[in-house]
Amino acid sequence: MVKVRLEGLKKYFDKVKAVNDIDLEIIPGEFVVLLGPSGCGKTTLLRCISGLERVTEGKIFFDNDNITYLSPRDRNISMVFQNYAVWPHMTVKNNIAFPLRIKKYSQQQIQEKVIWVANLLGIDNLLDRYPAQLSGGQRQRVAVARAIVMEPRVLLMDEPLSNLDALLRVRMRAEIKKLQEKLKVTTIYVTHDQVEAMTMGDRIAVLEQGIIQQFGNSDEIYHNPVNIFVAGFIGSPQMNFIEVEIVHKNEIFYLGTKGLEVPVLDILKDKVSKLSDKRNYILGIRPEHIYTADRAQTDKVVTTKGKVYFAELLRSDTVIHLEKEFGLLVIKTPGDLKIEEGKELEVLIDLSRIHLFEKDTRKAIF
Amino acid sequence: MMSQKIPIALKIRQLVTIFLVGIIVIWFLSPVVLITISAFASPGDYYQIEKVIPTHFTLNQFKSLFFGLEAWKAILTSIKVAGLTMLLSFILGLPAGYALSRYIFPGKNFLKLLCLATKMLPLMVLAVPLLIIFMKMGVSDTIWGTSLAHTAMVLPIIILIFSSILSGVSVDYEEAAMIFGLSRLHAFFRITIPLALPGLAASAIFAFVLSWNEVFVATILTLTNRTLPAHILKTAMASPDYLKFTAGFIMAAPAMVFIFFVRKHLVTMWGISLK
Repeated sequence: MVKVRLEGLKKYFDKVKAVNDIDLEIIPGEFVVLLGPSGCGKTTLLRCISGLERVTEGKIFFDNDNITYLSPRDRNISMVFQNYAVWPHMTVKNNIAFPLRIKKYSQQQIQEKVIWVANLLGIDNLLDRYPAQLSGGQRQRVAVARAIVMEPRVLLMDEPLSNLDALLRVRMRAEIKKLQEKLKVTTIYVTHDQVEAMTMGDRIAVLEQGIIQQFGNSDEIYHNPVNIFVAGFIGSPQMNFIEVEIVHKNEIFYLGTKGLEVPVLDILKDKVSKLSDKRNYILGIRPEHIYTADRAQTDKVVTTKGKVYFAELLRSDTVIHLEKEFGLLVIKTPGDLKIEEGKELEVLIDLSRIHLFEKDTRKAIF
Repeated sequence: MMSQKIPIALKIRQLVTIFLVGIIVIWFLSPVVLITISAFASPGDYYQIEKVIPTHFTLNQFKSLFFGLEAWKAILTSIKVAGLTMLLSFILGLPAGYALSRYIFPGKNFLKLLCLATKMLPLMVLAVPLLIIFMKMGVSDTIWGTSLAHTAMVLPIIILIFSSILSGVSVDYEEAAMIFGLSRLHAFFRITIPLALPGLAASAIFAFVLSWNEVFVATILTLTNRTLPAHILKTAMASPDYLKFTAGFIMAAPAMVFIFFVRKHLVTMWGISLK
């Protein structure tokens, strides 16, 4: 178990700042997910940590060792690649044994470790096959086996599940997470899939434009996003963003726009009253925090009405697009609802779940 | 009615396809067949005008070509020259092809273009200066000299082919090897080369065949140490016709055998994937 620390890490490709001044501290044995849209720099950051990419500036520490300028093979890391990169000219056994052979383990140790890891991943009956004779899922297991057999200081994973079909992905998600908990190896996992990030990561670093926007556990990331980017990236369907002004009436602050007036709860009153500017704010509310009239979970709500523009009948959930003066308001409600398009619908916005952002800085106020 | 009509149309189309394929095959094969038959035909049959297909065969002209005209020496020279050319272009082409396939550097596209540009100058223009330089260096009329010239001719193509073959080997395999304990050089030799070997071998043989068939430079640069095509140009062309066919046959046969064995890799060699 090793602590990973990044200090002012930068990686520029010519003028493109792929990784732009990143500080990060990962505690020993932690499973950290780097999450972001494509082109956000998450893979580049992982490749910097692996040593496959040389950093432009900054330092990388494993515990107290500065490994910034070590070549990949001297870092004692391992990696699972997106397309597995299981060597096609070697059998499964030789693929897994390869890192051990390089490290000059004895024949017996190699034999023992290969059997151990093959059993762990349930591929002990495939050892004599070639990768071409394996399915995608099996190849994935071989790649994971190869990565953990040498007990690396840090395990790196670059979108390892993105080439698997949906069903297998869900299964491997749980398996990899359980495996990591068992091995307690510090793991850095890159993905663009928020479900993977939320379910697997002890902590999640949300990246955009080469910068870590927020680093925290799934609870913090979901409930207290620090800016509009994180708020919009996490959650599906996306959070509703509504441009509002602050109105002060009868000792109560309202966040208002045409067709909607949301009162601010007392506990948030201080934060709003401090704001000098009354315009240019963005109200954020997640679709799952707007309820249909019969399903309200609290009485601290505000009611609003609109015409149903479109209803996504997923049967397990129902996603309703409501026509409002400011645009469409998206509501997600569990269960199979009978919703008719074009009809008026009354919905309740949960006041304890609203977010407020500054429009210019895009930062969260609450 | 309809159900009958469609199979007939299909059948016609099939016949037309077979017919066209047949024409193309005949077009390419007939000279080969003609040369082969004439190479073995006895001189008597060969000169009998009403006999289209000879019935008497002999190996006499092979004997006179090999020993009388000393073609065996030329064959030996050709093997040496082509072998050296293959070796040199492999050794020089591999790192160059790797650089073109794996790295982005300024002037890369220009360099690729330059590789092709070497093919734009006619050999006639190059031949005389080349000969003078080679004479000054003292390598004219040597096996080394001819293979150097052949390497210069073959190398640009080999570099481009190698770069496309190496691009076909995913860089991930190499990077995985580097993660799991190898240096870049070792990863190249233990992972990339084995994976690219069929294609690389095919293109090396291609280099061999190019050198084997090359006649112009070989003729100009040598007097005594002539390769087979150059030798044949000098000797067999002044001999009876049936000897020319024999000479043509022994020149074409090895190249065709080589191509036959590497035919599977010829397509991938040019970076075309059929998947």
